[in-house]
Amino acid sequence: MTSRIPAGMRYYIGAEARLRRTVEDVAMSVFEGWNYEEVITPSVDYYDLFEQGMGPREAQRGFRFTDNDGRLLALRPDVTSSVARMAATLLSERPRPLRFCYAAPVFRQQTQSHAEWRRENTQLGCELIGVGGTPADLEVLRLAAEILSRLKLQSGYCITINNVEIFNGVAVDLNLGDAAREQLRRLIDTREAAELRRFLRECTSNEARAFSQPTRLTGKREVIVNARELITNSRSVTALDSLEQLWNEIESLGLQDSFEIDLGDVSSLDYYTGLSLKIFVHGAGTSVGRGGRYDGLTGSFGRAEPAVGFVLNLDALTEVLLRRMSQQ
Amino acid sequence: MITIAIAKGRLQESALSLLARAGIRLSEDGLNSRRLALTDDSGNYRFIFVKPADVPVYVEHGIADCGVVGRDVLLETQADLLLPLDLGIARCRIVVAAADAQAMTKVQGMMRVATKYSQIASAHFGARGIPVEIIQLSGSVELAPALGLADMIVDLVETGRTLRENGLVVVDEIAESTGRLVVNRASYQLKSQEVGRLVSALETVIAPVNTVSFRQDFQDVQD
Repeated sequence: MTSRIPAGMRYYIGAEARLRRTVEDVAMSVFEGWNYEEVITPSVDYYDLFEQGMGPREAQRGFRFTDNDGRLLALRPDVTSSVARMAATLLSERPRPLRFCYAAPVFRQQTQSHAEWRRENTQLGCELIGVGGTPADLEVLRLAAEILSRLKLQSGYCITINNVEIFNGVAVDLNLGDAAREQLRRLIDTREAAELRRFLRECTSNEARAFSQPTRLTGKREVIVNARELITNSRSVTALDSLEQLWNEIESLGLQDSFEIDLGDVSSLDYYTGLSLKIFVHGAGTSVGRGGRYDGLTGSFGRAEPAVGFVLNLDALTEVLLRRMSQQ
Repeated sequence: MITIAIAKGRLQESALSLLARAGIRLSEDGLNSRRLALTDDSGNYRFIFVKPADVPVYVEHGIADCGVVGRDVLLETQADLLLPLDLGIARCRIVVAAADAQAMTKVQGMMRVATKYSQIASAHFGARGIPVEIIQLSGSVELAPALGLADMIVDLVETGRTLRENGLVVVDEIAESTGRLVVNRASYQLKSQEVGRLVSALETVIAPVNTVSFRQDFQDVQD
């Protein structure tokens, strides 16, 4: 026997395990309060499922092995793929909308950044399937905000929202090839102001200038006002309209201090089809949650319909709360 | 208060003088002491001084909100950070150098490359389909060809003097490197006002530079 533990794995003992369960219970009770049904998905599934659900680049981070017949299996790197397949197949006859929530560990053999040490993370997540538009987007944002304030993080978190179609519309308008589009996406994602200006100098379109000053991409309502001055293509304008509608709702709920618009959040363009969101909490160096609208996903399992959801990272949240408790 | 990690060594002095011109000053006493964490005169910024390769580590974990570090280090570590400003300081090049300018075509069999930058080197040769054996060193890389440890080196060059004095010539240029301001992704959102203030203060004192585009090599390294 060895005393060694594989990289990225850990034990939770006593008080920490208890706190972790409390955080999980809080999230699940909020989900339940909004009529979300719990779902438990298989821990092991065909690798194909995740490749289709997450895209090859993300799915490849998973732990993979082979089944008896030689087919490639994976230890689930996400839950959403499986829920989407279930909605499109097993539950295709059920009346819409479908509301599902889960608390489930996911596994990644390779982490995305050096700061993400864990290879097993428990996701607290929800999916709202079969309904689109602002009300559905708002519902999941309110759920996320409610969980964070029930965890007493109300003044210490920030949820950034964006609509990926704003970037997509501009990219189409610029008529960029795949490589140039990816390059522009990366420059916006990492906010490289000088290189962005250099890249966009060669673009004749006025619209590109909307992205040339990264500091103008984040903020409250004024971000949308600024963007409208430069962006006129119909695809982006539609997206700006729906983002503004969402922002109006956030303001009318009095939640604007906890939310921020970030047009520069273009990290998962191939996955999301509208709203994208990221959740940040004081005391955590990386985002503790993310989500968005993925209307394209269930279609790949045979039944195309709108869907939106998010996940919170239970382990990261527990770490922040534990550190706060020990500081008090 | 936000915390800024500064890479010790080559870049430190020019980074501090740039920050001073932007109105962010450290006391003489502090700078002359051997303390590794100092607060500026206004009390708005805390500075920590760490090895260059550790700057991305501190910033990625959010222990430091921002950092000042060379692009060479960022390319090598592939840190997931925001890069809002090219500070234009500590300008240098990452090059392939050898004793013979024709080394690339002359070496028989597998080429051996000595370097501190194993990621950059393997990405550079990998993108060109050239199989190489990377020999990881932690310093005095210029010695390796003369002593027969390697056929060529990948290293940082500022004036080229060390290369010349060790009988080496530049065979290929991989990328240009300058000091960068890097920002943690969570700090960028959670401390947006403080970070924004720092970025705009620095922006006003950066010399307008005429840098060439080096997006291509960035891609090589990331692929």
